[in-house]
Amino acid sequence: MRQSQTLIKWMIFPLGFLISTNIARAQQTTTVDSALLERVSALEQQVANQKQGESHFMVAGLATFGFVANTTTTTSGGKIKTNSFPDMDHFEFSPLFLWRHGSKFLLEFEPSFDGTSLGVNWADVSYFVAPGLILRAGYLVTPFGTYSKRLAAGWIDKLPTDPTGVADYPPTTDFGFEAEGGFPIGSMKWNYDISLTNGLQLLPDGELQSAGVVDNNKNKTVTARLGLLPISNSSLEIGISGMFGTVGDANSPYENAKSQSYAADLNYVKLFNPILVNIKGQYNYTFVNSQNYINPLDLSVYTFDNKTTSGFAQVSIRPTGAGVTFVKNLELAFRYGKYVTPEKSLWGQKSDIIDISLDYWLTWRTVFKIGYQSDKSTSTAIENTGEEAKSESLFIQFAIQL
Amino acid sequence: MRTPIKKIAIILISGSLLMISLTFDGCKASQMVSNKTGAQLWSENCQRCHNTPSPNSFSPEQWETVGLHMQSRSLITDEERNKIVAFLKQ
Repeated sequence: MRQSQTLIKWMIFPLGFLISTNIARAQQTTTVDSALLERVSALEQQVANQKQGESHFMVAGLATFGFVANTTTTTSGGKIKTNSFPDMDHFEFSPLFLWRHGSKFLLEFEPSFDGTSLGVNWADVSYFVAPGLILRAGYLVTPFGTYSKRLAAGWIDKLPTDPTGVADYPPTTDFGFEAEGGFPIGSMKWNYDISLTNGLQLLPDGELQSAGVVDNNKNKTVTARLGLLPISNSSLEIGISGMFGTVGDANSPYENAKSQSYAADLNYVKLFNPILVNIKGQYNYTFVNSQNYINPLDLSVYTFDNKTTSGFAQVSIRPTGAGVTFVKNLELAFRYGKYVTPEKSLWGQKSDIIDISLDYWLTWRTVFKIGYQSDKSTSTAIENTGEEAKSESLFIQFAIQL
Repeated sequence: MRTPIKKIAIILISGSLLMISLTFDGCKASQMVSNKTGAQLWSENCQRCHNTPSPNSFSPEQWETVGLHMQSRSLITDEERNKIVAFLKQ
């Protein structure tokens, strides 16, 4: 009996020790587990706070600035020399605000400061409805040619200037609605772009300008472009555009005035190793049916064939396959442009413009250009007919996409 | 001289018929075009207007937004946009 009591005592002690040790370990483990759980919970909260929402906002945009020196000589004996950092046609600061709502909606707003005024390049909302169908509404770039919509940005344009007349006549930013999209057809692709907007306004002297947010008549202007990429590697795109609308103010002598504009564009980019060849061109034609206009100088009534044409052909080469980085980043661009405004109008002229530029690409979206432009024009205006002018300009320009 | 409404109607109807006919014709890409990778489409399409962008230029989320913006300018197809954006997000 005594022996069994002693045995029990000896067994109780180690057992008690073992139990107390395990309890202590268990308490330690519980403490560690709860600390871990708290950490995991905190991390989960952190991740939850950082998870991507369906909306996204970002700022992109562009800036262009530099120096321009110009000499203009006229046959009447005038000679004017100017230089500046730079003039208003070659300075631009345009932040681009982009809001994306899920994968279907995109809001774009691009204010622009050109050195003298703060304007807006576009402000619209796009709805990506289905494959091949994007709807857009707001203040938008109408689909007339491709230069204004795709190529005008300083960091995209290979030359320091816009091709005269192509980018701004007829005006291509307007208030309205647009539908566009792209489709494959076998190894080719085609795209369409059609807009319905307030349209243009015919001024009493015969010029066309954008009607603005309040339409000047009840008719809307249709602008449409069809593009075709016939080669499977998308290196070639050709397009045709048309713009049709009534341009006269309602209840005015011009209420039956209508304009028709047509454009053809071409874009070919192909690597002929080691040279990347880039060819672009566009031709615009705008016509307003016969009207009697008012000469603002003496208020006399006069008329003319209100027809304007403009166009450019451009080629640039870049040795992207060269072994030396400095050479690889160089690009040489040449452009010929022609701009013909209505004969016997107040602003009639024929211009031949040659541009050449040597570009250095600091990054894919940052470029430094040194360019030369020669602009020979002959006046066909109702006054000063036959006067010739020659303008030569030197450009030093830096452009960046932000 | 046709009235503007007639002209608009003709253009809209012609455009719609063209779209419908092409849609019913099965606007399908050829096998060769369908098999193109995002990298290939990136190199072919972006340079039509500007230099090919570096994938490091934007974050994955920004590329989603930029992809929509660029599609509305270049009018690439949805499949092309999706493949190009997926490549640029890597």
